[in-house]
Amino acid sequence: MEAEITPRPRVGVVKLASCDGCQLTLLDLEEQLLPLTERFELIEFPEATSRRSSGPYDVLLVEGSVSTPEQLEEIVHLRGQTRLLVTIGACANAGGIQALRNWADEPAWRAAVYPTPDYVASLATSTPVAEHVQVDAELRGCPIDPRQLLELLTALRIGRRPQLDGESVCLECKRRGNVCVLVAGGQPCLGPLTQTGCGAICPAYGRACYACFGPREQANVPSLHGWLGKELPQVQVDRLFAGFNAWSTPFRDPAERAVRHAHGNAAEPDAAGSGADA
Amino acid sequence: MVIAAASSPAFLPRGELDRLLDLLHDDGRTVIGPMARDGAIVYDEIRSAADLPVGWTDEQAPGRYRLRQVDSPRQFNFTVGPQGWKRFTQPPRVPLGTATRDGVKVEFETATPEPRRLAFLGVRACEIAALLVQDRVLAAGPFADDDFRARRANALVVAMQCTRAVSTCFCTSMGTGPEVTDGYDLALTELDDGFVIKAGSQEGERLLGKLAPGKADEAQQASVADGVAACRASMADQGVAAEGLPARLMDRLDNPRWMEVADRCLACANCTMVCPTCFCTSVGNVSDLDGAINHTERRWDSCFNGDFARVAGGNFRPRRQDRYRQWLTHKFATWHEQFGTSGCVGCGRCIAWCPVGIDVREELAAIAPPYEEPAAPPTPAPIRGAMLDGLSPLPMVSYSPAVSQPAPLRADSSVATVRAVAPETADTFMLWIEPRDAALLQASPGQFVMVDQPGFSPVPISISRVADGALWLTVRAAGAATQAFTSLEPGAQVGLRGPLGRGWPIDRALGRDVVIVAGGIGLAPLRPTIDAVLAQRDRFGQVLLAYGARTPGDRLYLKELDAWANAGVEVAQIVDRAGPEWLGQVGVVTQVLDRRDWHGRDAVAFVCGPERMMQATVSALRTAGITRRRIFVSMERHMDCGIGICGHCQIGPFFVCRDGPVFAVAELGDLFGREGV
Amino acid sequence: MHESGEVDFSVRQLTRVEGEGRLSLTVSGGEVTQARLEIFEAPRYFERLVVGRTPDEVIDIVARICGICPVAYQMSAVHAFERLFDVALDPEVRRLRRLFYCGEWIESHALHIYLLHAPDFLGYPSAVELAGDHPDVVQRGLRLKRLGNRIVAILGGRPIHPVSVRVGGFSRAPRRGELDELRQALPEAIADAQETVRWAASLEPPTYTREARLVALRHPDEYPMNDGRIVSSDGLDIDPPAWPDAFEERQVPWSNALQAVSHDGAPYLLGPSARVALAGDTLHPLAADALRATALGGELATNVFRSIVARSVELLHALAEAADIVEVYSEPAVHLAPWEPRAGVAAWATEAPRGLLFHRYEVGDDGLVQRAQIVPPTSQNQAAIEHDLRLFAPSVLELPHAEATHRLEQLIRSYDPCISCATHFLDLRVEGA
Repeated sequence: MEAEITPRPRVGVVKLASCDGCQLTLLDLEEQLLPLTERFELIEFPEATSRRSSGPYDVLLVEGSVSTPEQLEEIVHLRGQTRLLVTIGACANAGGIQALRNWADEPAWRAAVYPTPDYVASLATSTPVAEHVQVDAELRGCPIDPRQLLELLTALRIGRRPQLDGESVCLECKRRGNVCVLVAGGQPCLGPLTQTGCGAICPAYGRACYACFGPREQANVPSLHGWLGKELPQVQVDRLFAGFNAWSTPFRDPAERAVRHAHGNAAEPDAAGSGADA
Repeated sequence: MVIAAASSPAFLPRGELDRLLDLLHDDGRTVIGPMARDGAIVYDEIRSAADLPVGWTDEQAPGRYRLRQVDSPRQFNFTVGPQGWKRFTQPPRVPLGTATRDGVKVEFETATPEPRRLAFLGVRACEIAALLVQDRVLAAGPFADDDFRARRANALVVAMQCTRAVSTCFCTSMGTGPEVTDGYDLALTELDDGFVIKAGSQEGERLLGKLAPGKADEAQQASVADGVAACRASMADQGVAAEGLPARLMDRLDNPRWMEVADRCLACANCTMVCPTCFCTSVGNVSDLDGAINHTERRWDSCFNGDFARVAGGNFRPRRQDRYRQWLTHKFATWHEQFGTSGCVGCGRCIAWCPVGIDVREELAAIAPPYEEPAAPPTPAPIRGAMLDGLSPLPMVSYSPAVSQPAPLRADSSVATVRAVAPETADTFMLWIEPRDAALLQASPGQFVMVDQPGFSPVPISISRVADGALWLTVRAAGAATQAFTSLEPGAQVGLRGPLGRGWPIDRALGRDVVIVAGGIGLAPLRPTIDAVLAQRDRFGQVLLAYGARTPGDRLYLKELDAWANAGVEVAQIVDRAGPEWLGQVGVVTQVLDRRDWHGRDAVAFVCGPERMMQATVSALRTAGITRRRIFVSMERHMDCGIGICGHCQIGPFFVCRDGPVFAVAELGDLFGREGV
Repeated sequence: MHESGEVDFSVRQLTRVEGEGRLSLTVSGGEVTQARLEIFEAPRYFERLVVGRTPDEVIDIVARICGICPVAYQMSAVHAFERLFDVALDPEVRRLRRLFYCGEWIESHALHIYLLHAPDFLGYPSAVELAGDHPDVVQRGLRLKRLGNRIVAILGGRPIHPVSVRVGGFSRAPRRGELDELRQALPEAIADAQETVRWAASLEPPTYTREARLVALRHPDEYPMNDGRIVSSDGLDIDPPAWPDAFEERQVPWSNALQAVSHDGAPYLLGPSARVALAGDTLHPLAADALRATALGGELATNVFRSIVARSVELLHALAEAADIVEVYSEPAVHLAPWEPRAGVAAWATEAPRGLLFHRYEVGDDGLVQRAQIVPPTSQNQAAIEHDLRLFAPSVLELPHAEATHRLEQLIRSYDPCISCATHFLDLRVEGA
């Protein structure tokens, strides 16, 4: 009945390009936090402990996207130290909001943000961890959901498959008894395309889902996009997809259109160069 | 006196509605009724008439719902909102119980339903129809959902006849409304100054007697009749052609329109969530950090979900078109065969609350239009039920709530002890389990048990032998739960439910030749059949076992294969691929059958294996002359409850867990081997 | 060992801070030759990400700058837009905004005090080990932190990146009954926080005194959070949109974060110590009493290691104010006021847990953001941190190397630096007139 991993698994928590919110979710498990540390050995978690370890890890929770040359090197190295690599959050799973730069001229953006751009080392793209190394499991969300994190850790200990549903947000929304903000409120809600796990928070708080848990299986983006486009201008519908999971495959087309629309010529590849020489 | 009140409608002035609410409250009931909230009419607790949505009315269209204030004193001047009453009869989440594990010991404690006494206020005719459909689905089968029954028994129905319809309403064409005719305790019809009220049950009459309203005058009665008639008339052009729809729909399973609607469908499941009759559920676990205490709950699920029809080896309905077709054909066609009624009551919720405005009425008209005159050629209907002479009939539903048994669900597993675990092949192993309850040993060949480990989803495992006071289970470590079986030590306990399902009709083969065809682990559920035949070998004709496996090492029961050959069974083995040490046949199992001819011989076939292998086998057997009525297959599907109330294992009109897993191929008709059903 | 040659006190990666940075401090011949807080947190270009977006989209996006103080980002942004669009908030909504901010202060301060900072004083690598010897202390911290998270979650759906803040108010206001849970929990939490102040004051800090220029918001009637004027210990008093008139950002080669300084290049200090010093007279009476009882009032601003006391006082303030708000709360008549976008500059500053957070957006005729500037507290504190490192380092040179390095790291942690926040700046000098 024991999991394949050691009785007290050695766990690391590391970050790449991100806001730290997903790893904070671990500390937000408040009541469960100390019991968890009895069952898992937190050997690397710079945000929470000065005790450091470079592995090997039974489980490594990776937050953040790959956006600098160092991060790329680091994630390849860490993969070699890790048995079960779990990406946590939209940045690690899909590149995060910062992946909007993938359709832009990154050197130009860097030049616009930093007076001396070449002090700053950055890759042209912000990409999901799985584009570079094998990922064994992912927790969705921006940020991840504490119950799902707990379920993942519990399942690891018991040896069951984590119960992380692939269904749409709508099911939980209806189970909660929310009134649909799209049908009754006319708000452009992405819930039907979005993977569940958050608890249908946004509609419960009277606003449209903005897909922070990313696309679900069978996400039919063209259909909903077309339906919303009957009431809203296309650019506005496109922008809905240029969010925290913009780089996920089903959202890419509309997200790219939105970025190119917002950033005009700067987003055109042939307009690059103003900052590239700096 | 009371009877007089029932026979002649009474009139309750609007200002006296609170008296009715007070009566209900005095009976210890919580009143649930309509409220305007977040832009829609929702059902929630009504403390007094002041909570009712005075002056609100609704407008509905495909993918659109709006509330509007109008100058009207009416409190029920709208049709149905997003929520059906199933929220209260079959709530979104129901705790089932707690499974605990303490070392090797396990215990299962079933939650006791403790429903509140409720009164449903403002139930529309279509919604009453939905409650009656739920009764058939959840309380009238061989097993009843205990929780549902308790909740339903504790809810009083105060109906509200409709005098107004919206564009999504089509109760008239489904024969469910707008008139309230049945299934209520009290029925009201709203007029500007009050309600015409009548009783429909003893409890209703008791309440009406206490309420003692005056008689409704003729004008009031005429007003009700006119209002309802006008409502009916307003739906004349917005219905479905329900007559003959089930057959027409099942005849159009290959209509290209399924693909077209799948291009629009989001598979988001909203239609199934708002549908007042959709009943599918799944069971989830919430465990403590050690997996010692596991709370199980049942929650609404949907056939539109990706995992709904998934098994360890794959997904039976991977595409949106598969899922939409499953939903629509179940609702409008196969529901009839399963439950003797349509699954649709015409409330129109699935139309209004579809985020992209898909209208079932349009889809049905496009997919299954009425046949043009003269009537189209009759489709060869699949043969259902007791068509096989000498066979026990399908346990089809009897529709009498009185006969059903409370459903043993997830948490009431009986405890069984592992006697031994031993590897069988590289990925399969044998599990010997001793149930505490000897009734579990009364299994017939081909039946299965649900095996429960605290913290894991229950797994259906076919029984591969019953002997020495133990169930012999052959298990392939395909998923996490089955993987966990492999580390069970002798003495460890698990939960067990069963024996479940309908097994092999061995009596059908008496005096006949028997062909047993097994693929891989498919030999496991067939072994009891072989045991049974060998136990009275002289009562059968020739017996052939054709056994195909991927490699020689993947074959089960190697010693027994030899023993069977020596005991009068012709054993023909074939493997997909093999090394030089293998001197037998290489190829697929149908090759064993191809060279045989059972034309004119009285043979019966039992087949179990991967679905593709079974298709090829059935085709070969039919070529060899065995009819579809004589070929039996054991079907695999996702199972959660094992007793026919969760909906996962459906194939056409069948629940595999309850009506199968063994079917005559003739019963399945062209559903057998069809992709995406 | 130290007296001659070069000694390196670098810390490869700072721990128990939010985000990724390192300390680089070199001493040569007894003199500090280099003191740098190097931020290698990857840049994410938020000022570009918000271009072409609506104000409400900006509120969702800027929250992602920081997982620890998302409310602060939402608050600075929403107030900036509401000021430009002349949105009149329901008074109850204004109170809810303060309650929301209190929730984040409670969560962030409890996190820093108990999980990140306390181990420094008591000699543990983390709160996990600390909990082994002092479980009651850590449990108290977790209880407080949890309550802060609950406040944000009740109002915003979840504690991290809450969803309900919209221009004009909230997409949904809680019903009064939903705050019952807080009404019940707050009295005990206030007692916990009072104990926190006493306990924090008892923690022995390293001896270190310096005068710093302090900057914070100040409001005549309330402790500074969403509203007020920017004031300083040397007499500055400006409307928040005028931040660029008094301060500027500069880039240093060793950091992915821009540093903000006064126009004269002088560093300044933000955060709890500055707020207590500049606005202590507006503290809740419970917090003011607790502060007075510590008898440390003067020292909070001059010894950065005492910031844990200032943070504890603010933790108590936030809980006491939250209790007052939930007591009188009634559902707002209008939880979301209507508004029309307007072209112009939207600028505002609010008090994030770590200090002043300035946002400035140029909005076009189409209501979309054309240009943005976001100046988080940590970027403003960066220069002050480096200044403190230079001043403090000589006093630890005689200590064993590991101990000295640890002291320097502790100094940085005293600022509760939020490095993810700091890594994204647009310097208006690039594109400005």
